[in-house]
Amino acid sequence: MSRSSRFRRSLQSRPDRKLVSAIMLFFFSAFLLIAFKGELHWQGFTLAAVVPALIYIATMWLPRFFPADKLLLSVANFLCALGVLVLYSTDLVKGTNYGMQQAVYYGAGILVMLVCILLVRYIRYWRVFIYIIAVCALGLIALPLVFGTEVYGATNWIIVSGISLQPSEVVKLALLLVLSYYMSRRRFWPWLIFAVICMGVLMFQRDLGTALIYYATALFLYYASTGNLWITGAGILGGAASAVYGYYQFAHVKRRIAVWLNPWMDFENTGYQIAQMLMAIASGGLFGVGLGLGFPTIIPVYHTDAIFAVICEQFGIIFGVLILIMYAILILRGAFIARNARRSFHGLLAMGVTVMLALQTFVIIGGVLKLIPLTGVTMPFVSYGGTSLVSCMGLIGLLQGVASVNQDDLTYDYEVSHSRVDGESLPFASLDE
Amino acid sequence: MKPLHNRFRLVTLLLIGLLLLAGLYGVYSVTVYGNRWISSSRNLRYREAKNEVIAGDIIDRNGVVLATTDEDGGRVYQEDQEAREAVVHVIGDRDGNVANGVDSFQAGYLLGFEATLPERILALLQGEQRRGDNVTLTVDSMLNTVIVRAFNTHVRTQEKSGAAVVLNYKTGELISLVSIPVFDPVNITDAVKEDTRHPFWNRAVQSTLPPGSTFKIITASSALENLEDIEEREFTCTGATEVMGTIIRDYGNAQHGKLKLPKAFRVSCNNTFAQLALMLGDTALRTTAESFGFNENFLFRDIVVENSVYPTENRTLVEIAWSGDGQSQIAATPLHMCMVAAAIANEGVMMEPRLLYRVESSGGLVRLRLTPREYRRAVSVDVAATIKSYMLDTVARGTATAAQVDGLSIAGKTGSAESSLDGRDVTHAWFVGFIDDSRYPYAVCVFVEEGSSGGGAAAPIAQAIFRYIQAYFPFQ
Repeated sequence: MSRSSRFRRSLQSRPDRKLVSAIMLFFFSAFLLIAFKGELHWQGFTLAAVVPALIYIATMWLPRFFPADKLLLSVANFLCALGVLVLYSTDLVKGTNYGMQQAVYYGAGILVMLVCILLVRYIRYWRVFIYIIAVCALGLIALPLVFGTEVYGATNWIIVSGISLQPSEVVKLALLLVLSYYMSRRRFWPWLIFAVICMGVLMFQRDLGTALIYYATALFLYYASTGNLWITGAGILGGAASAVYGYYQFAHVKRRIAVWLNPWMDFENTGYQIAQMLMAIASGGLFGVGLGLGFPTIIPVYHTDAIFAVICEQFGIIFGVLILIMYAILILRGAFIARNARRSFHGLLAMGVTVMLALQTFVIIGGVLKLIPLTGVTMPFVSYGGTSLVSCMGLIGLLQGVASVNQDDLTYDYEVSHSRVDGESLPFASLDE
Repeated sequence: MKPLHNRFRLVTLLLIGLLLLAGLYGVYSVTVYGNRWISSSRNLRYREAKNEVIAGDIIDRNGVVLATTDEDGGRVYQEDQEAREAVVHVIGDRDGNVANGVDSFQAGYLLGFEATLPERILALLQGEQRRGDNVTLTVDSMLNTVIVRAFNTHVRTQEKSGAAVVLNYKTGELISLVSIPVFDPVNITDAVKEDTRHPFWNRAVQSTLPPGSTFKIITASSALENLEDIEEREFTCTGATEVMGTIIRDYGNAQHGKLKLPKAFRVSCNNTFAQLALMLGDTALRTTAESFGFNENFLFRDIVVENSVYPTENRTLVEIAWSGDGQSQIAATPLHMCMVAAAIANEGVMMEPRLLYRVESSGGLVRLRLTPREYRRAVSVDVAATIKSYMLDTVARGTATAAQVDGLSIAGKTGSAESSLDGRDVTHAWFVGFIDDSRYPYAVCVFVEEGSSGGGAAAPIAQAIFRYIQAYFPFQ
């Protein structure tokens, strides 16, 4: 079989279309199922139409305008829609309105993703731009110090006229852009200064979970770009030392460790959440109690930190493992994009996004499963929260931006090698600025 | 770009590994600890499920219904007060005072959490209230009543407390599990709540106690395994052995003179076993104890058992010498000591204790059937046979003659364990033993708190158990 005919056949079968259709059908029927539970819920019907539509727009319609990695898009959108679904299923019990809100955030997330794709795709000269981003990011992350609100022991929220915002989530995007830019230019000092200021501010706000993720991402990026094991090792040691320091310095860190070791010891107070999460997961068993059933709302903060436990109760631990596999696919695609990037800035950016998403997933899911102490970070794409969802979609946008540039480079190479201009050949697009 | 890509690959593998670890850990902890989490008395969803699902019945091995649900969703136990009191620690009570009774520990089955998707859909379509699964236990509830009666007859102290366990040493089925004092689950009085003996405790699986001389089964096994020609060696018992300034005495200050291991076991000579422990050393003795399940995290599927301890810290010579006699911070539950005797009976193989005989859905689908499972090999076949001959001898003409039953060949070992309770020095009585007969493969452990001597207080209760088995159990 010749190469071109095989290519044509794969076009005809269109596996991406099948995958997206399956996902849309899944959510359509899932929302209808809840809508018909008890009396009719109009919100359920709305969501049954809106969520599949959003999935279609993000995974099938947008990629018409630029090349994109559709598997990555499908997985990310599946997770976002799953968050909406699970939140909506708890709404009926609690009388909250999380599902609808999350659907709106999901729509906003798609917009932000588009912006990020365009940003990476069309900006070729980042020098000035990075300065602006860095300054804005530092200003934003320091905002809660001036007029912040304390939530669960950390002062990392700002509330402006009724709209609450978590700056550290938005700054994630800036952090990755700034860090990978300076690393690709081999300018270590601005890199270090920016990272240290961000970390310091977060520590000061006692947002230790996010600080941990920033720190580990920066360290991974440093290792990936330089391969300097000595300094990376020193960084790990420093991180461990500050963790020990934090343990003795902050009472709420000490409490979390004690609760992690034995959540049943102080069940009534500090151990309550993790014990309830474990009981939720256990009562779900292998296959779960079923969508919309069970009692997931018993768990404190079921809608953000503990949402993985809610998923496990309703769908079972096997589904939970499948979710982990989806995140693994996301990581693999991210690494693939990073590997194919022609410019080291793009490669590091893609790798940084991958590392950050993976670490955040591990920190929260490991915490819910009692593998590591629980820290209050959100589960990417799934947890309730506008800022978190939007910034995660932004991260996917950065990845897609790099992927689209990669694809353009490949196309360029292909055209060059097939142009057959005798005597003179165009340069290959492997330029590292 | 090559080294950069290699590092990318390394980082990616590391991240994938982390997620894999989380997934594996999640599956592991749900399968191993899941029941323990669900059955927690603090599980609110379990209480809420009671409103939606009719809890299944609990039935004993002879078909006696031990617990069922009435029309209002309340839990109903047996009519007869004596009968429902005798199994209260196995079943549990409505308010969850007893930890990990079948009623709460098997809530996954009883409240229908294990129902499959088609069953759930069917129940939904029929519009009926869903019924949980019916659980059949391996327990013979009549034997429980017999044991409670035997405690009342044979224990002379006013405030009786103790425990008894009977299990099938070939399959691990728990035939009986009793903790004294019992209480009435439908009428929990203030007197029960304020009783200093804590009637809610399930002593058979929750109390870890010094096993006393019953531990000599393990010391003797260790000696037979590690010391050559130990059966031929002659020991001298003057009634008191001095170890580093501390004197080890025998029960009742007995003097046994010159004796060999079989006789020392029969008369339960503390001096000889202290010397054996010193000859073995701490490591050898601990290794044998651990092969019997000490210091092991018991994660049995059907029942929650407190872990037994062979101490690892502060091992002076005095402590090691006392270890040979089952003192010195060594602690085990009555169920575990029963498993020790059962391992000797079953040619050195310890079976996992089982409590569920069958689980059946309300529609008649059998969800689970008992499958015996080996827990671990405790000792070699030869050593088990030798120890068995010692134990037969102990019942025939040693400290445990009170456990003899005409027509059965019984093996046993008594124990009198010194312990301090609320600041007082007290002596607990133990008996562990089994019927050496393949038609009646049953092992027994009786523990009487403050019963002073094992031969005097515990062995007669064991005798009553053996007699019941002889009279009412079918040949296997």
